Amino acid sequence: MWETVAQAVINGLLIGGIYALVSIGVTLIFGVVKIVNFAQGEFVMIGMYLSFYLATQFGIDPIVSLVVTMPALFVVGVLVQHFLIRRVLGPNDMPQIFLTFALSLLLLNLALMLFSANYRTVHTSYSDEAFHLGGLYIPVAKLIAFVVAMILSGALWVFLHTTDLGKAMRAASQNRDVATLMGINPNRVFCVALGIALALAGAAGSLLMPFYSAYPFVGQVFVLMAFVAVVLGTLGNVVGALIASLMMGIAESLGIQYVGADSGQIVVFAMLLLTLAFKPNGLGGGRVR
Amino acid sequence: MKKDRQPSVTRSENAVRKLLPEAQSRRKFLLKAGGAVAAGAFGAVPMRGWAADPVNIGALYPTTGSMAQIGVGCVAAAKLAVDMVNEAGGIKSLGGAKLNLIISDVQSDTTVTRTETDRLISGNKLSAIHGCFASALTLIASQVAERAKVPLITGSSSDQLNKGLSYTFTPFARASQFAQAQLQMAKLVGDKPKVAVIFENTAFGTSTSNGLKELAPGEGVEIVMFEPYSAGFTDASPLINKVKASGANALFSVSYLNDLILIVRTVKQVGLDIAINGGSGGFVIPDFYKNVGKLAEGLQGVAHWNHDMDDNAQKVNVEYKKRTGYFLFEYAGGLVAQTFMLADALERAGSADPQKVREALSTLDVSSGYAAMAPGGKVKFGPDGKNVYGRPVGVQWQNGDLASIFPKEFARAPMIKS
Repeated sequence: MWETVAQAVINGLLIGGIYALVSIGVTLIFGVVKIVNFAQGEFVMIGMYLSFYLATQFGIDPIVSLVVTMPALFVVGVLVQHFLIRRVLGPNDMPQIFLTFALSLLLLNLALMLFSANYRTVHTSYSDEAFHLGGLYIPVAKLIAFVVAMILSGALWVFLHTTDLGKAMRAASQNRDVATLMGINPNRVFCVALGIALALAGAAGSLLMPFYSAYPFVGQVFVLMAFVAVVLGTLGNVVGALIASLMMGIAESLGIQYVGADSGQIVVFAMLLLTLAFKPNGLGGGRVR
Repeated sequence: MKKDRQPSVTRSENAVRKLLPEAQSRRKFLLKAGGAVAAGAFGAVPMRGWAADPVNIGALYPTTGSMAQIGVGCVAAAKLAVDMVNEAGGIKSLGGAKLNLIISDVQSDTTVTRTETDRLISGNKLSAIHGCFASALTLIASQVAERAKVPLITGSSSDQLNKGLSYTFTPFARASQFAQAQLQMAKLVGDKPKVAVIFENTAFGTSTSNGLKELAPGEGVEIVMFEPYSAGFTDASPLINKVKASGANALFSVSYLNDLILIVRTVKQVGLDIAINGGSGGFVIPDFYKNVGKLAEGLQGVAHWNHDMDDNAQKVNVEYKKRTGYFLFEYAGGLVAQTFMLADALERAGSADPQKVREALSTLDVSSGYAAMAPGGKVKFGPDGKNVYGRPVGVQWQNGDLASIFPKEFARAPMIKS
């Protein structure tokens, strides 16, 4: 009995690490730039295809290809901010919503055209391996993904709290006008925020590749969970998004185990609604990050 | 919607190019196909003035969209089959008339299937049609063909195709027979098979799994777990956890490719000793092995056709491999046999008139040659258009190839333990 529960929790935690990478990106963009990036999942998809082609064309291990996908998507993030999002950062919300939504649809359909709807997998030596501890097992690929995801999240936290640029980002997110008065260049800060968020999405893509298939719609699977985690963990709160992602992974896994294999999402969304009913700002409470 | 009458063939070739830029062997196929397009543009056939008029055969396949992978393979097989008939002298009773294949892309879409079938029939003088591989599409095309009184021959397995249609012919096993064969295969594992059935909670998953559930008691198979799941999950581990807890020794997974890959990998990681049967469709095509790799070894499935059935099938397989680089998969192989069934009917009808071809098809009775390439080696249609000898064959992935292992009389290789 305890073994089944423990296994379900392990499974949930491991997949929660991936949700965390995606949701931290969404929450960072929302916190700093104050827009909802609907295209975050599509950037995960781009990260996956990048890793896939690096693996199949050049024989680079998907995990190692992080060193390519993260910088590449960082640059994409800076470009998206500079050429697209910057133009619509006015008092009106609607253009912002439609901008990222349009970006999502554009990337999705471009991927369909370029890569077709087929599933692409990379097979690594550790894709099918697992550590066995008593009756429990921990898949190697997912463990690596989880550990790297936690390291990246930790690095982001350190960056936000110790560097000038990180502090400037937090300042800009707390009050953009005052931050500007203090000499912070908002566009530069926004560019970095977008860059980091997309680099995290790229990292999620590379980390997923050893155990998940790449296909044009793959981002949609993860972005839905990411949005729930972002709301659950209080919008704009990086630590909140991380904890909420892990919780959701576990809730989904336990839901599949004890409610039914088609009800994982029922548990997740019930959890979201209950939380919002009692803590409308999410588990993180206020606006502290 | 589409005013243009010509480009259906052109479009499908573009699709091939888009989908398979990397395949060397496909390039050759493209060259040939390109030639065919050019020939079509310049009025096709008669090199010799006295040659008989060609017999037009319509081919409806999804060469773009989500089902394109299989559709493109079908088109390659259809072309191969027509070449074979023509090289052997065409239809002799029609003065050596050649078969002329007119391909139309149904774009993996039911609405497009309806308009394309209409367009194909009204724009050309067809003697017969074959298509569309996916049952959902074939059901629509068969309705249109019925109204236009053009015979349609198909490998699609939906039992509904045999209800109230007099122009539709199905030479291979039906969906209900697939479920039965799958249950019988569970007994290869042991005398008392305990089966876990997991299926995606869609129309396809639900109807297939319910079929399995209904037939299980009659076949003496115990179902210990019957569980729907949401298609497109991120993690198969919780589901496999449940399978493990159920104590099953055989697993039936009614899933599409992506979920199935996750399931197979997770079973391996858990170290669960269980025989997996993935059913038919996407499970028995070369692409499955390409994606799953070595993990596919030992997995079982059911098919309406397999290339190791007899000498003729193996001969066609060699030729198909030469052209495309892949082994001749279930649907494409059956399609070659279907083309020869049409040739046989045309030969006996002595006419390219679709109604006469239908008459000849309804009295088809073959037990040798390429037209009889079917599990059991015999084809004869009943009043419902069903091959009275139609049976599925149980297959297993062995060394990157599909080997027939069930039932005993069709087995060409011993079953391996996965």
